[in-house]
Amino acid sequence: MTEEVISTGSTKNQVSGSYPQPAVKKKRSLPGNPDPEADVIALSPKTLMATNRFLCEICGKGFQRDQNLQLHRRGHNLPWKLKQRSSKEVRKRVYVCPEKGCVHHHPSRALGDLTGIKKHFCRKHGEKKWKCEKCSKRYAVQSDWKAHSKTCGTKEYKCECGTIFSRRDSFVTHRAYCDALAEETARVKAASHVENHAGHVNYQFSLGPNMGQHFSSIFEPISCNSQKINDPMTRGISLWNMSKQTPLSQETLCKNLQEMHQMGISVSSLGAIYSCTDPLFNPCPSNPPAPTTTYQLNWDFAKSLNSSKAADDQLSCNSLPLNNINVKDVGNHQLAGSVPSLFSTQHQSHHQSSAANMSATALLQKAAQIGATTTDPSLVGNFGLKCTEIPVQNAVTTGLGSDFSAFNQLQMYPSMRHHIQNQDNIREGETRDFLGVGIQSICHPSSINGWI
Amino acid sequence: MDRTNSISSKEAAFLHVTNPQNNGIHLEMQGTNCRQPQESNITGLRSPDSGENSDGKWASRLLIECATAMSEKDSTKIHHLLWMLNELASPYGDCDQKLAFYFLQSLFCKATDSGQRCYKTLISVAEKSHSFDSVRKLILKFQEVSPWTTFGHVASNGAMLEALEGENKLHIIDISNTLCTQWPTLLEALATRNDETPHLKLTVVVTTSIVESVMKEITPRMEKFARLMGVPFEFRVMNGLNFLGELTKDSLGVQDDEAIAVNCIGALKRVDVEERRAFIQMIQSLRPKVVTVVEEEADFSSSRNDFVKCFEECLRFYTIYFDMLEESFAPTSNERLMLERECSRSIVSVLACDDEVDHGGDSERRERGSQWSVKLREAFVPVRYSDDVVDDVNALLRRYRTGWSLVLPAGADDVGLYLTWKEEPVVWASVWKP
Repeated sequence: MTEEVISTGSTKNQVSGSYPQPAVKKKRSLPGNPDPEADVIALSPKTLMATNRFLCEICGKGFQRDQNLQLHRRGHNLPWKLKQRSSKEVRKRVYVCPEKGCVHHHPSRALGDLTGIKKHFCRKHGEKKWKCEKCSKRYAVQSDWKAHSKTCGTKEYKCECGTIFSRRDSFVTHRAYCDALAEETARVKAASHVENHAGHVNYQFSLGPNMGQHFSSIFEPISCNSQKINDPMTRGISLWNMSKQTPLSQETLCKNLQEMHQMGISVSSLGAIYSCTDPLFNPCPSNPPAPTTTYQLNWDFAKSLNSSKAADDQLSCNSLPLNNINVKDVGNHQLAGSVPSLFSTQHQSHHQSSAANMSATALLQKAAQIGATTTDPSLVGNFGLKCTEIPVQNAVTTGLGSDFSAFNQLQMYPSMRHHIQNQDNIREGETRDFLGVGIQSICHPSSINGWI
Repeated sequence: MDRTNSISSKEAAFLHVTNPQNNGIHLEMQGTNCRQPQESNITGLRSPDSGENSDGKWASRLLIECATAMSEKDSTKIHHLLWMLNELASPYGDCDQKLAFYFLQSLFCKATDSGQRCYKTLISVAEKSHSFDSVRKLILKFQEVSPWTTFGHVASNGAMLEALEGENKLHIIDISNTLCTQWPTLLEALATRNDETPHLKLTVVVTTSIVESVMKEITPRMEKFARLMGVPFEFRVMNGLNFLGELTKDSLGVQDDEAIAVNCIGALKRVDVEERRAFIQMIQSLRPKVVTVVEEEADFSSSRNDFVKCFEECLRFYTIYFDMLEESFAPTSNERLMLERECSRSIVSVLACDDEVDHGGDSERRERGSQWSVKLREAFVPVRYSDDVVDDVNALLRRYRTGWSLVLPAGADDVGLYLTWKEEPVVWASVWKP
């Protein structure tokens, strides 16, 4: 399609108007909005389908255009002559599609280019004779097929998580399940959920488009080697050292976790944000041990439970934390979405205790403020109980490692953290409790300090 | 004792075992002679001359021997063979050792009448060991290395898209065990259609609790993906069913203005054998425009009263399956191990559980395509796959390692498509309309 045909009296191109536009490309209008002054030509299907009318005498090769034939003749050392365009004005020609019922059949929707109308006719109304070997896609126009064959199978698809695929179908399927997919629409739901929360939840972050950006910027480089997350996150991690775990906070945590689940964010990917170097939480598909180890933690967790709840409740609760949580509806998405952004945006407004803990404290408090209020005591209240009893026995043996694994447990319930701060109880001098869940025995003081 | 002797005495053991004249004493003696080569087998390494008879397929021989002994109630033989199998079997060895391991388990349950208990244990172990992440990883990896499931997906999606062409309100009822991995590519296809993208409502029917918990994770992902694709989408998970047989038209909530497609991937075999016809009738009552049926090609149902025959068929099928797994995955693959473990439940269910007694799970009694066709013809008419869909499936198979091929059925009455692994048909896919 040539631009000149389209940019005629059509109103679509009156963009510039009277004021200078910054280098705006002329928009193409819909194909088939021809110059009203042009001649309308109706070619027969036979003519349209005919290809290669211009034949070379020497080798018999056919060409669609005379110009191409002339250029070809040079190769045979034959005299060639390119016809000049006649200087006098030529009436513009537009072509209609002979197929009745086709949108381009009517002169008002004629196409302006001969090649264009030919291709259109073949593509839409012709038989698809050309087939790609690799993917069996069919084409009516040979040039389309050729163009496709060049790129078929060579294209590599890269998911946001960093994995590369050579097959489109595996790429598409992976993407649907991949946690690294940026969640832009979360903020839309977020906005709708704001009103539902009363009380001490402090929506200091903007819920507008910025939030989405914050959100996605937090989430996007979810792969473990993302550097930009590390900074706020490390501070975020230190938050966990604060205060004692209370049952109420656990509920909040669990509820927030549930919301995050509904957001489609896997807890393990959250873990990745907070502990990028922790192999246990690498959501990248290329890291085999991750799910198993994470599971093992769950399993150990389950084993350690001595709650009175029925065995299968325990198990289901632990292998898939949200099993017995009432799944709230869409409205809950919002705050879950807000969680990650907490750590990058919330430092400022809250001041607490000692200067040494300022950033960590502030962060945590902010987190608590932003985090969802607990209005649903039924929500895994038992779960909260369980959370306090994590004596994580796990595969990771180093001090820091075991902190991590205990860490992991809590990471699954980020809302716990929020509520820790919510309680406003940053007790100085308290043993740095990684989880804030009373598992002081596990924590290695030196390694914890390494985090702060 | 040198190895040759051990082997021949093992051979002799076989011969003796089949001779009813022999009493236990002889067998015991032979048994001890066998110890040497077997020990090397236990470590999982295949030593060249241990247990290696003419074709190396000691597992199937021993297993069938044992099954025969069970049906004959020859307890001495049974004990001996179970003991031998136990010595030789390992879930970490080669195919023979693995088959021996998993089938031994069900033979043992059958002999001790503990099939139901074993099945329940296996279910609860599976529940504990599965998380969304592990299951997701497992199925995606499996689909990456093997077209076992994707074959049915591509064929069904293609057929559904063609049958629902031009419809604006689609309602797909998904009764499958592939955790919605079929739908992303369908959503993409809907989104890239030239004409208007239709509205899609997807109702997923689940029964097992493992899948139920995983679905909670899948729901938001599917919804998000559909949003990204720009397909108006409604997703609903129907759980709370104990058995597929309980599914009713009313509970599905189908509406009159919807174009209904019913997608059954490995679904029919989960229905109790006696209820299968009724289930098909129920599907018919939904008035679908198209029904896609995909099942594994094996017959565990017509022979269910003949233990040995059923055993042989079961062994045949899983031999192919294990072989396929071994060649598709890397040797140290965790995923392959998990998939093999998944088989133990179905094997125990088929061989060691009495159908009449409720073992709290779905049926596993597969039937062949031809058998399903007979039942399906009572309610539906078969549809041939179009050339485009067949081409798509072929293109799919080309993307995997060699060994796979597509076979169109031979007889005029035969329906559907078969996926074959090393010339053996393993999965059957078909399309039906009212």
